[in-house]
Amino acid sequence: MKKTHIIIVVVIAVLIGAMIGAISDSSSYADFEEAFENPESEFHVVGQLVKEKEMIYDPVSNPDLFTFWLRDINGVEKQVLLHKSKPQDFERSEQIVLIGNAKDQVFEANEILMKCPSKYTDGEVQSKESASI
Amino acid sequence: MEYIGEHLLIGEIGNLFLLIAFAFGILSTASYFIAEFKQKDDWRRLGRYAFWMHSIGVIGMVVTLFTMIFNQYFEYHYVWQHSSTELPLRFIFSCFWEGIEGSFMLWMFWHVVLANILLLVIRNWESPVMTVVASIQVFLTSMLLGVYILEYKLGSNPFTVLTREHPDFVNLPIFKMPDYTSVLDGRGLNPLLQNYWMTIHPPTLFLGFSLTMIPFAYAIAGLWRKDYTGWVKPTLSWTFLGIGILGVGILMGGAWAYEALSFGGFWAWDPVENASLVPWLILVGAGHLMLIQRKKGTSLFTLFLLTTLSFILIQYSSFLTKSGILGDSSVHSFTDLGMTGQLAISLLFYVVLSAVLIAWRWKDFPKNENEDHIWSREFWMFMGALILLISAFQIEFSTSFPVINKIFGTNLAQSAERVEYYNKWQLPLAIVISAIIGFGQFLKYKKTDPKDLFKKLSLSIVLSLAIAAITAWAFTITNPLVILFIFTSLFAVLANMDYFIRIVSGKLAHAGSSIAHIGFGLVMLGALISTSQSDVISENTSLYDVSVLGEDFNNNENILLMKDDTLLLGEYFVCYRGKEKEGIFVRYEVDYMQANEEGELESVFTLYPFVQLNPRMGNVAEPYTKHYLDRDIYTHITYAELEEREKSDKFSEHSINLGDTIFGKNTFMVLDSLNRNPSRENRGLSESDLALGANFTLYDVQTNAHQIQPLFVIRDRQYSFSIPDSVPDVGVSISFEGIDPEAESFAFKLKESDPKYKEFIVMKAIIFPWINVLWIGCIIMTLGTFLAVYHRLKKR
Repeated sequence: MKKTHIIIVVVIAVLIGAMIGAISDSSSYADFEEAFENPESEFHVVGQLVKEKEMIYDPVSNPDLFTFWLRDINGVEKQVLLHKSKPQDFERSEQIVLIGNAKDQVFEANEILMKCPSKYTDGEVQSKESASI
Repeated sequence: MEYIGEHLLIGEIGNLFLLIAFAFGILSTASYFIAEFKQKDDWRRLGRYAFWMHSIGVIGMVVTLFTMIFNQYFEYHYVWQHSSTELPLRFIFSCFWEGIEGSFMLWMFWHVVLANILLLVIRNWESPVMTVVASIQVFLTSMLLGVYILEYKLGSNPFTVLTREHPDFVNLPIFKMPDYTSVLDGRGLNPLLQNYWMTIHPPTLFLGFSLTMIPFAYAIAGLWRKDYTGWVKPTLSWTFLGIGILGVGILMGGAWAYEALSFGGFWAWDPVENASLVPWLILVGAGHLMLIQRKKGTSLFTLFLLTTLSFILIQYSSFLTKSGILGDSSVHSFTDLGMTGQLAISLLFYVVLSAVLIAWRWKDFPKNENEDHIWSREFWMFMGALILLISAFQIEFSTSFPVINKIFGTNLAQSAERVEYYNKWQLPLAIVISAIIGFGQFLKYKKTDPKDLFKKLSLSIVLSLAIAAITAWAFTITNPLVILFIFTSLFAVLANMDYFIRIVSGKLAHAGSSIAHIGFGLVMLGALISTSQSDVISENTSLYDVSVLGEDFNNNENILLMKDDTLLLGEYFVCYRGKEKEGIFVRYEVDYMQANEEGELESVFTLYPFVQLNPRMGNVAEPYTKHYLDRDIYTHITYAELEEREKSDKFSEHSINLGDTIFGKNTFMVLDSLNRNPSRENRGLSESDLALGANFTLYDVQTNAHQIQPLFVIRDRQYSFSIPDSVPDVGVSISFEGIDPEAESFAFKLKESDPKYKEFIVMKAIIFPWINVLWIGCIIMTLGTFLAVYHRLKKR
């Protein structure tokens, strides 16, 4: 076998390894039901903030803990412990993606991605006196 | 309804330019195609004239849109969406490319500039190369058409009038005014983009993107003409220029993220960042394969693969960011404008074109039966290119999860430990690459004597081992891979310096590549040390025990600072002094202090991280960083109460007699006696004032007694006022408001506030050591690349 062939085989093996590695290290999107059935694995849960339920952020006792309730796409509501400071403009978020796993009755999130009403949402026009019309 | 004051003409002009650009783009593509197909020179000339017309169209569009933004014609959708009257003039360029349409125009503009320079030097490659170039321009122009073809909207037009784009707006009161343009304001620029980096990063990045088009067009032309090697020489300078500029563009994006974003670092493996890094890696591989191609003429398949891939991956990155497919996985991406299909078709066109041409011509490629010698420069350059390919593939595969999900219906998502995941794969690859960079220069083409090689390298190896050992010891690094990488990147730097001094003997004409490689080694070294040894000094060191929350709970990166309290963070005593509102900015004054020789705290520097208030798009906190030569101290507000806390102070008025009691919320107080001659010390009284003191005994919740004495003062027999007295610990202040002689009662005003409430911020502070090595490396790498390109061009 020539050197070139060995190299090609090795490269292909590494590429396949990278693919398998990527998939095995990946997380997946899930709803709360699935996340709470498999508390040992990490999931991305998409949902909305339950504005009626309590949001607790008490930076005096712990600046890295924020508690709120999230309603997933199936309408299941769970309490979330986010191990970060409360994101700016949290109340304005339209959609939230949490990354973390279930623990007992709460969802423990290490990461949060928020979608806020962006500049692309239309339907609001501003006049120069900066009052919404 | 008839409107007055709309500037409709300029929109028509814009659309006219658009039409010119599109029509002449098609004409140019077709003419050049026929010219190459039939080898007719008059068709070639037609193609060239058409391309010039197309260029006029594109530049006209750019000027038109810019004029609209500059003059704030908010009746146009694009201007309304991306600008506003209050926006400072210096961000006007950022408005231009904030939207998808503007960024397409920027890209087309660079293509036009480059293609016109190319036309001056192209000679006999014109027809096939320009066929490809013009066809790319046609696809890009089509993204701006904004016309409907059978229900399908083709492109998004930047010259659309607002009321046309949003017919429902006509019902809004503002559009019932005929002269609505005099009051309409725009929606404004995203606060994150209101940063000077956003003025220079996008055009640099897009110039880098555009430069990949030229090697791509030449590669396709080479395949088309069956001239598999002749295209390489005219492409080399463009390719290395592209490597330099794209590299700078990417690092500028990193600098922006480091300066203006909150994640604390210059690289987060975000999908959009990855999408621009991957084409760069491939372009670097392609450029180096071109170099060995010139020397030996093999590995053509890999060369064509990498050259076409670099442009295709730019298109893919444009697809990822502009189709909205990244959606919630990236912070940088655009929102869907319904162009996914069109973007995919444009991408697939070039994928299929390249794949078919390479497959078709493969059998025809000249083969070299002799294998490369293992101690030859070409062998290791080829290996380096393969490793870059692997590295790029690994990054792009994970970045493409949203695309894979869409195609295969899976629901893969990136793990929360994204950075660790990428580092795990990229670190070993980077170690190999930096080692190859180190010894590669010393290898000769064809064959090198290994003994001689090691003799030449021994100095760099010994020196880098020594420095790596010292560094590992100084930072107490234990991770063997990190130590190994420090060694190999130092080796890359030192070996290339050695090569520059001993072999090239400092002659700049041949030094471009060694200087560029020194820079690259420094970038690696700086990135490695600043990120792996970064120290989050705001880690919760306070009394609060986080371990009770569970063993895997280590996210304690933020710290709470009460106003005027001082906490020890790392080697600094940090104090939050207060905030100041300045227009839309709320600046927080954070003082970093150290003890001086007498043991007193002295301010070393003060940082002003701030929050940009933006009620429409959300408030944005931006960090503030202190730069030292050997490290940066980054400080970021992660949480602050922006709204003034509801006036919790409550006033109550009381009219009482001697011996009566006032009941407050948490206290009560008894009026014991009156004092006609109260102590005047420290109360701000003058000798001529008449003063009456009211002696109260105040009891707090713990029934501790406090004595207070508010004063009623008559000054110059003309006016009266009160000098209140307070117990700050209880949050009570009482003022003596007056005397009612008839009822023999006294009026008091009680003010109670929550004594526990103090203003605070939650912040994060990180020390990045040696991060300047990264930026210096970036500058050296760029200079080296430009030097190499300059001397290559001079030789011609």
